[in-house]
Amino acid sequence: MPLLHRLLLSLVLGLALPVHAAGSVVTTGEVRAELVADAPEGVAPGKPVWLGLQIEHQPQWHTYWKNPGDSGLPTTLTWQLPAGVTAGDIAWPTPKRLPVGPLMNYGYEGRVLLPVAIAVSPAFNGNALDVKLSAQWLVCKDVCIPQQGEFALSIPAQASTAANRAAFDAAQAARPQPANGAKAAAELIDDAKTLRVSVSGLPTALHGRELAFFAETAGVVEHAARISTRWEGGTWQAQVPISAQRFESPAQMQAVLVAPGATAGVQIGFAIAGMWPALAAPPVPPAATVGAAATPAAPAIGLPVALAFALLGGMLLNLMPCVFPILSLKLLGFAGHAHSRRALLAGGLAYSAGVVLSFVGLAALLLVLRAGGEQIGWGFQLQSPVFVAALAVLFTLIALNLAGLFEFGTLLPSGLASMRLRHPLADSALTGVLAVAVASPCTAPFMGAALGLAFTLPPVQALSLFAALGIGMALPYLIASAWPGLARAMPRPGAWMSTFKTAMAFPMLATVVWLAWVLGQQTSIDGVAALLAVLVALAFALWAWGRIDSGRLARMAWSSAGVVLLGAALAWALPSWREANAAAPAPGADARWQPWSPSRVATHNAEGRSVFVDFTAAWCVTCQVNKRTTLGDAAVLADLDARRVVLLRADWTRRDATISAELTRLGRNGVPVYAIYKPGQALPTLLPELLSPQLLRDALAGP
Amino acid sequence: MSKNIRFVALALSLAFTSAATPAASVGQPAPPFSASDTSGKAVSLADFKGRTVVLEWVNPECPYVRKHYDSANMQATQKTATALGVVWLSVNSTHASHVDFKRPAEMAAWTKSQGAAATATLMDGDGKIGRAYGARTTPHLYVIDAKGTLVYAGGIDDKASANPADVKSAKNHVNAALADVLAGRAVAQPVTRAYGCSVKYADS
Repeated sequence: MPLLHRLLLSLVLGLALPVHAAGSVVTTGEVRAELVADAPEGVAPGKPVWLGLQIEHQPQWHTYWKNPGDSGLPTTLTWQLPAGVTAGDIAWPTPKRLPVGPLMNYGYEGRVLLPVAIAVSPAFNGNALDVKLSAQWLVCKDVCIPQQGEFALSIPAQASTAANRAAFDAAQAARPQPANGAKAAAELIDDAKTLRVSVSGLPTALHGRELAFFAETAGVVEHAARISTRWEGGTWQAQVPISAQRFESPAQMQAVLVAPGATAGVQIGFAIAGMWPALAAPPVPPAATVGAAATPAAPAIGLPVALAFALLGGMLLNLMPCVFPILSLKLLGFAGHAHSRRALLAGGLAYSAGVVLSFVGLAALLLVLRAGGEQIGWGFQLQSPVFVAALAVLFTLIALNLAGLFEFGTLLPSGLASMRLRHPLADSALTGVLAVAVASPCTAPFMGAALGLAFTLPPVQALSLFAALGIGMALPYLIASAWPGLARAMPRPGAWMSTFKTAMAFPMLATVVWLAWVLGQQTSIDGVAALLAVLVALAFALWAWGRIDSGRLARMAWSSAGVVLLGAALAWALPSWREANAAAPAPGADARWQPWSPSRVATHNAEGRSVFVDFTAAWCVTCQVNKRTTLGDAAVLADLDARRVVLLRADWTRRDATISAELTRLGRNGVPVYAIYKPGQALPTLLPELLSPQLLRDALAGP
Repeated sequence: MSKNIRFVALALSLAFTSAATPAASVGQPAPPFSASDTSGKAVSLADFKGRTVVLEWVNPECPYVRKHYDSANMQATQKTATALGVVWLSVNSTHASHVDFKRPAEMAAWTKSQGAAATATLMDGDGKIGRAYGARTTPHLYVIDAKGTLVYAGGIDDKASANPADVKSAKNHVNAALADVLAGRAVAQPVTRAYGCSVKYADS
């Protein structure tokens, strides 16, 4: 070709090439992307204005939805708009499932328009709206190509722009429709491996049809897995598998349900009930430090230190008002045996054996029950009103015996009575068992983290931890029984013993008062009155039985009357103790404290407020102490108000699966637990079990 | 008709895949595996018992893999890790039917030309290792501690883009995870978003 022709040709070609930078269209080998607008009433405040990126894909090429699925990235739009004009988010049309081998993506093929609503404020004034858009998209077939384009468009303010009306209408029609009147709920089941979703109130046109489930949040659902769904009447239910490598733990989620062949799906939103487990199991590092505000993510105690703390905790249990009366009861035994060293030591060992075996037995039972799936934590015995009542009856029995109303010898046939005497060891062991039964819920300081650790350990180690607790509790008594010197230092038997014995009845009765109060918290004043009636009937029955100074016939008559009265009282009382959730009143009408729930915490955190949660129970003495001291302190409360901290109370007096689950998640197994949930943190800061105002202030001030 | 059959077959295969191989999860023992590297030598996870191991899913044709190799980010991360005694295994799970497939010799040449510092590059053409680990994208990174527990799964960093310039301002998750593991701490972010092209298993 002659030079002149070549020059002319290149000139023509050069002029014919589109200028990408300033246009509203970008074409690549895989897509044709165009910036389009819809402003039928022009551009002015209050008028509907929509912009959008229209993408026409070459066959088999696709781009991605807001949740792209297993791979890929969603299209992103970055706008440059004049002052007073703001763009919203992309109003994503209903996506398509795009399987890629064993993986699943969500996106669009063919032609799609991604619309964006534009808000025009009075600050905008001009003859035209000049829009600049920088868009990035990933377009894939069997290979992936990240692409981008710069677009510019000028929309006249006074004229109508409706050339793309049909495309915008189609895009709006393809948007997931909000499901008006539909109620959706979701719950994590199967150890948070499955999300059970149920939706009622969906449009009748969808009933009975196979719906596809598109989660709007990435990083939660196993996208490629099959979802089993079914219709139960008007309710749609699905078991959605959760990804084994989930990286989000949302409290709520939105999803789109699409019937086969439908252009638009239905958008549902639901809160997710149940706890997300921590993303990874924490390691047990070699160092051992139990910090004042230890976060539970990594229980920083090794087994030997935990055993030491368990020992200490067990020893402290002896000081709890629930245990002391029993211990004092054993002191009586001391006074009687002070001269027989072997008997004393044997008694001490029997007591220790009783205590340790009870702790281990309880722990074994707990492990078995936990394996069986029940949501029970430490102290579960005192969560049952019938158990509390039974314990109150037993303690009253012992108190009346101590006070001299009856003697065990006259109650039982002589054979049994002498058997009891002949086996002081069994008696000692039984005393140990009783002591454990009542002390277990009072988780003393130091024990909280050790207990929590026990349940992350293999069964053998967990049982040994509980055995250490038992040894600690029995230790003071055992030491005293082993060193005759100490026992001999005790006063010799004498008249003072019966006075001492009667005096011991009163701590027993004080414990009954406490149990009656717990029962009242669990049931109602009726339950307490029923208990008192039973105790009166019991006292009468015991007095009737113990009347040795009457003839045999008279005695039988009195005994029968006593038994009948007791039976009647129990028959009347049992229903009021059995009522599940019978008007369980909130402990004290304290408006400051709201009932706890995981969604409440999430809501307040989303508002930017910290949440202080008091996990408590009526039968937990340490909890009551903290309530009256630190948590009742005016300065502390003022400080909490100033920091806008929300106060929530989780009452574990009766069994509650949600609270049990949360306690497990925090690595604890009993109450009290004081947790501060700060916004943006996955796990709360935990405080020690004995609070002080300074401690609370430091924890709130910290990160 | 054939479309229905294809749909049914696809659904069945999906059900089968999801039922047959539950993918690895962080906090659980890492699935064992064994494969040939680019020089034909057999390599298995058991060979590195007692050592920290990093698995990196790679596909030289993927723009996101290129982002980290062109910016020398991946090579630097590999060098940092191997210098600390960590074993780095690059895994290519591209199926032979895919256009991105590379023969072992080609893979070896590519890694050499990139100056990669991986301990070995494994050929996982049948996708066994990929499926066992639930590898979804290239790149997709996993860290296994010395006890054999999977402690990290996710992306190489936190900026999901194809722009190499983003590497400088992004947080490198693998470096952070290795620092935690080697110090005996719990990994602060054990699972993150893995971004990139899909792993090219069969039928991709």
